[in-house]
Amino acid sequence: MAITRANILTNTVARQQYIQGVTLLKNEFTGPTTSSLGIAGPSRQVSTYDLFVVWHHTAMLTMTPPTQGDRNAAHRGPVFCPWHRFMLRQLELNLQRVLNDNAFGLPYWDWAADGQKTAAQQKTSAIWAANALGGSGHPVKTGPFKFNATDPNSFRVRIEADVNGQLVQRDHGLRRTLGTQISTLPTKTDTSSLLTLTPYDAAPWDTSSSGFRNRAEGWAPPAAPALHNRVHVWVGGDMLPSSSPNDPVFYLNHCNVDRIWEAWLTRQGRTYLPLQTAPASLRGHRINDQMSSLISPPTRPSDVLDMRSIYVYDSLAV
Amino acid sequence: MPSRKSLALPTTKSIASSVKKHAGQVKKIQTLRHGEAETVREAEYRGHHIVVRTRYDIEVDGRMVMGHMGVTNDGKVHYHPVPNMAFVSAIDMVKKLIDVFPDDFSSTGMGRKAGRKKKKARMAHRYK
Repeated sequence: MAITRANILTNTVARQQYIQGVTLLKNEFTGPTTSSLGIAGPSRQVSTYDLFVVWHHTAMLTMTPPTQGDRNAAHRGPVFCPWHRFMLRQLELNLQRVLNDNAFGLPYWDWAADGQKTAAQQKTSAIWAANALGGSGHPVKTGPFKFNATDPNSFRVRIEADVNGQLVQRDHGLRRTLGTQISTLPTKTDTSSLLTLTPYDAAPWDTSSSGFRNRAEGWAPPAAPALHNRVHVWVGGDMLPSSSPNDPVFYLNHCNVDRIWEAWLTRQGRTYLPLQTAPASLRGHRINDQMSSLISPPTRPSDVLDMRSIYVYDSLAV
Repeated sequence: MPSRKSLALPTTKSIASSVKKHAGQVKKIQTLRHGEAETVREAEYRGHHIVVRTRYDIEVDGRMVMGHMGVTNDGKVHYHPVPNMAFVSAIDMVKKLIDVFPDDFSSTGMGRKAGRKKKKARMAHRYK
């Protein structure tokens, strides 16, 4: 039976389980070390949560194919939606494992609902309350991920990307600058207009493409950064670099993007482009190409187009 | 239907094993340095093949910025370590890098003088 992914603001149980599960994964060490991953400095164990940070960054810096410098293994091209669906499912499976609850579903943050509020209200939305994700700060000072330098169990950023695109070891609290880099979140008009866009993606299969993917990712008008990208930029701090999964809100943003994609698939049919007959210049983005993996065997876009036997959303109203 | 193997319930053992298998790709990315990289843009127009090569050599306070940078055909620049933004100018992009990576830049900056000093030292070293 499929599990249900719920709105984090209306499902208190899912919210509490998510916070608990993230904390458990942040403190679980299965063997990989910084040295085994080529990260400079003293060799330290890398937590399961931080392995997702490493994975996201690695996919981001893997050009697909390596002969060009635009599309990477998870962004700026067609694979954006399926790769993040794969990543979310891996996190969900690991949360189920540490929570010992196979019925747990990853919650989503309907950021466009907050986008309907004024700029000032957006920064004080319920998701940033102390009983949810905590608020803004350098470091964050409220909520379950607040930083206390004297508490070794306090939520810490241990691995992040530096300015040269290298993963480095750090030890600081989570950073957010809500509404500073850009003042407002995407709106319901932005999200609902996505559902009528066809096809899924189109030539030249990059940040200038027409279609659903490029608009959802946030490169296309009305105002870039838009939609998914805009949420990263609006949250700011640790949500800006390629190590953005350091902030647990990363997954809530992407779960909402996945929900929007599911609404699109339901409306437009479970289609994906480019097909496998597309040229090798689109390797890494075609329907049966293997997607970048780290903590599990790889999968393909075609494997994740229909997940209804595994999970459903409590609402597809976007 | 999703692939059963890739979407099966993980174990601590399966995670360790998989990371070991894929660690080579992470290590490879960690060795990449893109300073002074050339970006190549190509387009077709009325049967003609256009190639535009752009070379960026970016320094802040005399120190090279080495991440992967690109230019799209509309002329916007992007920097893969800051994946959600594109910029109309490389100067705007570098200003944003200073904001996004506070741990990599001193809070006050070293200014033009320090930058020149470092550049001079580097050139002297290069022609020794």
